Amino acid sequence: MASGGPMGPMPAKDDVRATWKYIEPGVDKIMSGLRDGMDMGMYMALYTVIHNFCTAQKALGGSHFQANNSRGGAHLLGEDLYHLLIQYLRKHLQEIQKKSKEHSDEALLVYYIKQWQRFTTAGELNNHLFRYLNRHWVKRELDEGKKHIYDIYTLHLVRWKEDMFAATHQNVMNAVLKLVEKQRNGETIEQSHIKSVVDSFVSLGLDETDYQKNNLDVYKEYFERPFLAATAEYYKNESKQFLAENSVVDYMKKAEARLEEEKQRVPLYLLEEIMGPLMRECERVLIKDHSQALREEFQILLDNDKQEDLGRMYKLLARIPEGLDPLRTRFETHVRKAGLAAVEKVAQEGENVEPRTYVHALLDVHEKYQDLVNFAFNGESEFVRSLDNACREFVNRNKLCRSGSNKSPELLSKYTDTLMKKSNAKMTEEDDLENLLVQIMTIFKYIEDKDVFQKFYSRALAKRLVQTTSASDDAETSMISKLKEACGFEYTNKLQRMFQDIQTSKDMNISYKEHQHKMLEDEGVSERKGAIDATYQILGTGFWPLNPPTTPFTPPQQIVDTYNRFIFFYNQKHSGRKLTWLWHLCKGEMRMNCAKMPNSKVSPTLQVSTFQMAVLLLFNDSETVSYDEMVEATNLNKEWLDPNIAMFIKSRVLIAEPEGAKPNPGTVYKVNTAYRPKKLKTNLNISVQSVQKQEAEDTHKTIEEDRKLLLQSAIVRIMKSRKKMKHQQLVSETIQQVKNRFQPKVPDIKKCIDILLEKEYLERLEGEEIGYLA
Amino acid sequence: MAANAQPTDAQPKITLVSSDNQKILVDRDIAERSVLLKHMIQDFGGETPDQDIPIHNVNEVVLKKVIEWCEHHRADPPATAEDDSDNRKKSTDIEEWDQKFMQVDQEMLFEIILAANYLDIKPLLDVGCKTVANMIKGKSPDEIRKTFNITNDFTPEEEDQIRRENEWAEDR
Repeated sequence: MASGGPMGPMPAKDDVRATWKYIEPGVDKIMSGLRDGMDMGMYMALYTVIHNFCTAQKALGGSHFQANNSRGGAHLLGEDLYHLLIQYLRKHLQEIQKKSKEHSDEALLVYYIKQWQRFTTAGELNNHLFRYLNRHWVKRELDEGKKHIYDIYTLHLVRWKEDMFAATHQNVMNAVLKLVEKQRNGETIEQSHIKSVVDSFVSLGLDETDYQKNNLDVYKEYFERPFLAATAEYYKNESKQFLAENSVVDYMKKAEARLEEEKQRVPLYLLEEIMGPLMRECERVLIKDHSQALREEFQILLDNDKQEDLGRMYKLLARIPEGLDPLRTRFETHVRKAGLAAVEKVAQEGENVEPRTYVHALLDVHEKYQDLVNFAFNGESEFVRSLDNACREFVNRNKLCRSGSNKSPELLSKYTDTLMKKSNAKMTEEDDLENLLVQIMTIFKYIEDKDVFQKFYSRALAKRLVQTTSASDDAETSMISKLKEACGFEYTNKLQRMFQDIQTSKDMNISYKEHQHKMLEDEGVSERKGAIDATYQILGTGFWPLNPPTTPFTPPQQIVDTYNRFIFFYNQKHSGRKLTWLWHLCKGEMRMNCAKMPNSKVSPTLQVSTFQMAVLLLFNDSETVSYDEMVEATNLNKEWLDPNIAMFIKSRVLIAEPEGAKPNPGTVYKVNTAYRPKKLKTNLNISVQSVQKQEAEDTHKTIEEDRKLLLQSAIVRIMKSRKKMKHQQLVSETIQQVKNRFQPKVPDIKKCIDILLEKEYLERLEGEEIGYLA
Repeated sequence: MAANAQPTDAQPKITLVSSDNQKILVDRDIAERSVLLKHMIQDFGGETPDQDIPIHNVNEVVLKKVIEWCEHHRADPPATAEDDSDNRKKSTDIEEWDQKFMQVDQEMLFEIILAANYLDIKPLLDVGCKTVANMIKGKSPDEIRKTFNITNDFTPEEEDQIRRENEWAEDR
């Protein structure tokens, strides 16, 4: 057993002093660099000596046994060695610490890292050499809950922290920060130095409950804190100086680059954990502290359409809390002003604005800023909302809407009508039309008086359907379903019914054609001669915004015969329905046999209204027809007859005698057999300007009426479910209910309530309350 | 020195020297069943050492016996922290091969235990201790004294005190 190692004979195993004396030179070698002179023989000898010391049975007298009795078990040796090792480490480290003062800056870092690495390597080795101590004495102490006893490796860390780190960390950190500053200034540095220091600081964070684990306490206190402080200081100075010498736009680029640079820095040599605090610190110094300056630039960038810079500003300010709020407000104001200016420009061309010009002016503004929101503001929902608010504002309240907010829906509806009409066909590729409809819906979304749009739209639709001037059934359906999607079933109910009526009428006309063919055969009437080739549209009274004719009318006999056949047919199918003829909407084609096209034997065709037809047919029986005869035969009143006669004169189908005579009793008309139209078909069925204007006015009038009804029905609905309600509350509830159709005015609502009180649907109760009377 | 083993076996070899100066050639992975040797090889950079390694506290006979055990258990998975607790500790079950292996005289048994402790071979230490525990199990103090050839050097008072202190462990 007493075999000697390369270091001489082993000491007696119970002799502490001799044992330590034997171990110390070995530990010394390890501490000052393992390679020189250490071999496996020595390693085994050291281990054996420590093992022997810890397993030595001390001469145990009875008294010794008693003394350890309380611990309830075998006495484990090793404490003396443990303390001797501590003493040794302290001395060793104090030496290292002292020498560290000879170095500064980068040299200090090199020194610190080299010493740290040598020390921890030695610590691992010692941990193995003293493993027997770890396994038994240290383990027992820890099991018994002793504080400040560590396994040998941890002991090394603890000693380093106390005897080396405590007096050195500040200088080390200063050196680190100087290095980082150099890098921020664009110099190349040895990054691994910093990484090593970080690792060292992290290793020193010992978890008091489990020494095998690290915590970041030491790192946070001695590395992160000074690092963040230095970073803030650096960028505070830099940003201040940069802004003083450069534009805000350049500063934003700089800040963006700096933020990215700091982000890149983290994985290079810092702990991932610092990312959050580091970014916050940079954002505070680089963005928040200059947010005022940034925001002031915002308006300038908007004015100059600097999308990229706006995007940059958005990204920067989005990083700080509440950074964007002021931008949103400014953006909203800006868009609203842009919209108002666009309308102003359009309005310069006079009161009668082309609907297309107006709608596109609105659309252009919307599209421009929607692009901006998507491109620069990342499509962020709050900015979208600001855009919407601004658009709603300038769509409903602008120069052209001064008289009331229903100019926009009227013009939008008219524009839609021009798109949907056949005459527009030249540009109407289906896809294009669909895109245009989508654009219309964009504006529609912002319109407050949706009921006005509905009114105008349904009139226009009715006209398109009745006059079969609609360009495409698909487009009509598509538009209706878009409106339905936006406003619900009720909104488009009538539109849909109108559309359906026309479809049903088409089918019915086909079956009527078959029926008519048979009937004429039975009657022995030749189809070519006797019958007028007619189509009929059956329109449900409640759904169509059409008025009965404002003039009495006696239709010519030919037409009477034709339509009687139809009535007979229709009543067979649907008995008990009353058909009212809307003569003013009827039209037909006539061939003017007495005239010929230029250089041709073909007679020209006239497209006429039924009223015109009735007038012209009179000339089949007589060369000349007097004004009075016309009145008598057609029974038309002056308002309708006169403009139509004027149309004939203007188009030179009829000639008045004496020439130039006003349509008055006494004037006589004859057919102009020398009529030479340029085209084979001439349309005489043109409604007069004044009629159009009249229609618009009528429409507005009915809107007022309809609104009253809508308000009243809303009020009744609310009261029916609530029974009792405060006046004020009722008003606000009513606004809620109808506001997606139009913006009601409070006095109007009050008026409606009064009407309902009068009609005894409601009653006044005490204390401003209103009651419902069933 | 390890070179002469190479032709027959690809396993790198290590020369251990017992306390009575006998060289024993073992496969590296067998030597590394000892945590002491494993750590040492690591600490010297992980290369298979070509110098003799003195095993100061173990003589040739015992060392060979220990190596025999290591060879049988060379493929055992390394012990984990969990193994250290509860189940394995509580049970005195010993697998059959180990039982046969431990059928040696008492002197040898204790030598094996000491060697396992010194070389830091935990599973072998456990097997040894369990074997001793099984020898004690169910025996009265006198029988135990007889088994291990111990003279009772307690005074009656001391004996009494110990009994009182350990009453909790009595099996009744």
